[in-house]
Amino acid sequence: MRAFAAVFSVHFRQFVRDRAALFFTFIFPIMFILLFGWAFSGRGIQTFDVGLSDLGSPQSAGFVAQGLGMVTTDEGKQMFEVEMGPQEEMLRSLRDGDLDAVIVVPADMDLALSQRLPSQLEVYYDPSLASNQQTLIPVLYQVVDGIDRVLQNSTPLIGLEQNSLESHQLRHIDYLVPGILGMSLMFTGLFGALPVIQQRQAHIIKRLGTTPLRRSTLVLGDLTFRMILVLLTAALIVLVGRLVFDVQMVGNWFTFCGMVVLGTLAFTSLGYLVAAFVKTEEAAAPVINVITMPMMILSGTFFEVTSMPSFIQPVVKILPLTYLNDALRQIMVAGTPLHPMTIDIAVMGAWVVVCLAVTIRFFRWD
Amino acid sequence: MNQTVVEVKDLVKTYGSIRAVDGISISVARAEVFGMLGPNGAGKTTTVEIIEGLRTADSGTVTLLGMDVSRDIRAIKERIGVQSQHPALFPNLTVEESINFFRTLYKTCLPAADIITLARLEESRKVLYRNLSGGQQQRLSVALAFVNDPEVLFLDEPTTGLDPQARRAMWEVVENFHRTGKTVLLTTHYMEEAQRLCDRVAIMDHGKVIALDSPRRMIEEHIKESAIQFKMTNYPGDEVLAGLTGVTKAIREGDEVILYTSDIPAAISALLSLAAERSAALSELFVRQATLEDVFLKLTGKRIRD
Repeated sequence: MRAFAAVFSVHFRQFVRDRAALFFTFIFPIMFILLFGWAFSGRGIQTFDVGLSDLGSPQSAGFVAQGLGMVTTDEGKQMFEVEMGPQEEMLRSLRDGDLDAVIVVPADMDLALSQRLPSQLEVYYDPSLASNQQTLIPVLYQVVDGIDRVLQNSTPLIGLEQNSLESHQLRHIDYLVPGILGMSLMFTGLFGALPVIQQRQAHIIKRLGTTPLRRSTLVLGDLTFRMILVLLTAALIVLVGRLVFDVQMVGNWFTFCGMVVLGTLAFTSLGYLVAAFVKTEEAAAPVINVITMPMMILSGTFFEVTSMPSFIQPVVKILPLTYLNDALRQIMVAGTPLHPMTIDIAVMGAWVVVCLAVTIRFFRWD
Repeated sequence: MNQTVVEVKDLVKTYGSIRAVDGISISVARAEVFGMLGPNGAGKTTTVEIIEGLRTADSGTVTLLGMDVSRDIRAIKERIGVQSQHPALFPNLTVEESINFFRTLYKTCLPAADIITLARLEESRKVLYRNLSGGQQQRLSVALAFVNDPEVLFLDEPTTGLDPQARRAMWEVVENFHRTGKTVLLTTHYMEEAQRLCDRVAIMDHGKVIALDSPRRMIEEHIKESAIQFKMTNYPGDEVLAGLTGVTKAIREGDEVILYTSDIPAAISALLSLAAERSAALSELFVRQATLEDVFLKLTGKRIRD
């Protein structure tokens, strides 16, 4: 027990005196949360600048402007800022990014409407912007539909009341925070292989082998320290999410901590596996990067994995981080499950078992 | 009471086709300083690491303090002190923290202050290991071998990389330890070190012990002559030099020539006339007593340090 405490305190001192390790464990994930959080919520609830160009139907153009003006955000602000002008000028502003969309009212629209004939509004927008696809176009459809109904004097028979599946609506930041936590557990676990490789390379493990210290005490001390470290990281991430972006933790803390520990075990085992095959510190860093970087992108840390192309889905389905992120999302923000929690736990457990089995077979202490 | 502290029998260790340890048998008595002398790759470190229980032999037995190394290694480790060839400690621990960490690993141990004094690091107790100089790291590494007040001390190349002054200080440390009746097993490739510290020396080459005795007796037995050492231009050849009056053997190593003789005046005058005859220039000529180096040279035909 004395030796265990001593090993633990050695790992602790080694860690807190290593600035790079401190940075990657604590600062790096927080930086990610802040950067991404602010990047995605910079405009708050979205408003749009829309250019309206009337080619000769002032009455119709008036309807459209009025319709747009009636749309408000949840906070009661107008969603559309409407600017009128010639078509050429409006389109130029759209290209320059000053406008989000341009609506062109055709010259014959007033005439067509008076004769109760169908007519087409033209909309120009940049489809590469996600906000356009997700918000602007659907809302425009509703606006046009609304004008249409007023003109036809009809009352809709079927309405659709929107109810979110969960008790509260998930924002992008809610999606992001569990992902960042999963990512940082991955980094802490895998980069945990570095001290092992360092100490082996520097003959420290061999030197300790001449003392009565048991190998198991050495491993256990390292593992315990790592677990406390990740729980601290998790607490910090949850806290920053809560204080800065009001990301509520909906699940219970016990399940949450269990999942953090299981995830860390999975990635620490993967780290030991790396240490079993990579002998030098210089070689280990690139190997770990090659493992962590694609996993970070492909496992739903920042984007949903369902948006990945189908040829990459088999890879996505193997990576342990996919399951950790999914499980953390379910627990922390009641995210929509990708898999049932039992599957998440089983897959991560399988990673632990396989990695440890291979490690035990190939790992060398000298 | 069993006076044999280390008993090694027919030790063999192969790596692929290389027999790193090739049938070594040695025994070290209590209160003896036993040296293993040989060039790099002679199998010294491998042998010592097998004795310490760090490696397992392919065959052969090691008994340490009356216990079988392959069975009672944990009990043995409490009672031995080991300094491994590479100074190896946690880079982010201070001198004091390193010592205290090692102290927690043993049931009995010396006060930390003693170890700091031993390492002569009184001024650097709060310095991180990674910020120590190479020599300081080496001294700490050796001093840590004393932390459990061991009965047997293993030192693997304890003074490699130390300056002459630090080396002499280290020798005193070993001698003081020896004076308390403790046993030391050390490896070295410094002749002077072996000659000064060791009661007995095993000369090793290619995984075998090729000679084993006290340094003095070994020299007396193998080389009865003195050595004349010099450099020479227009080298006339080993045979010509060996045929000079009074010379029993001539060896050339690089540009250095060594003549062994029991009649120094006759050999020198013969050498001088030969040099004059061939208009060869002699330089750096001196006469000395034979050393372990000469023994090694005679037995293997090469120098220990290449």
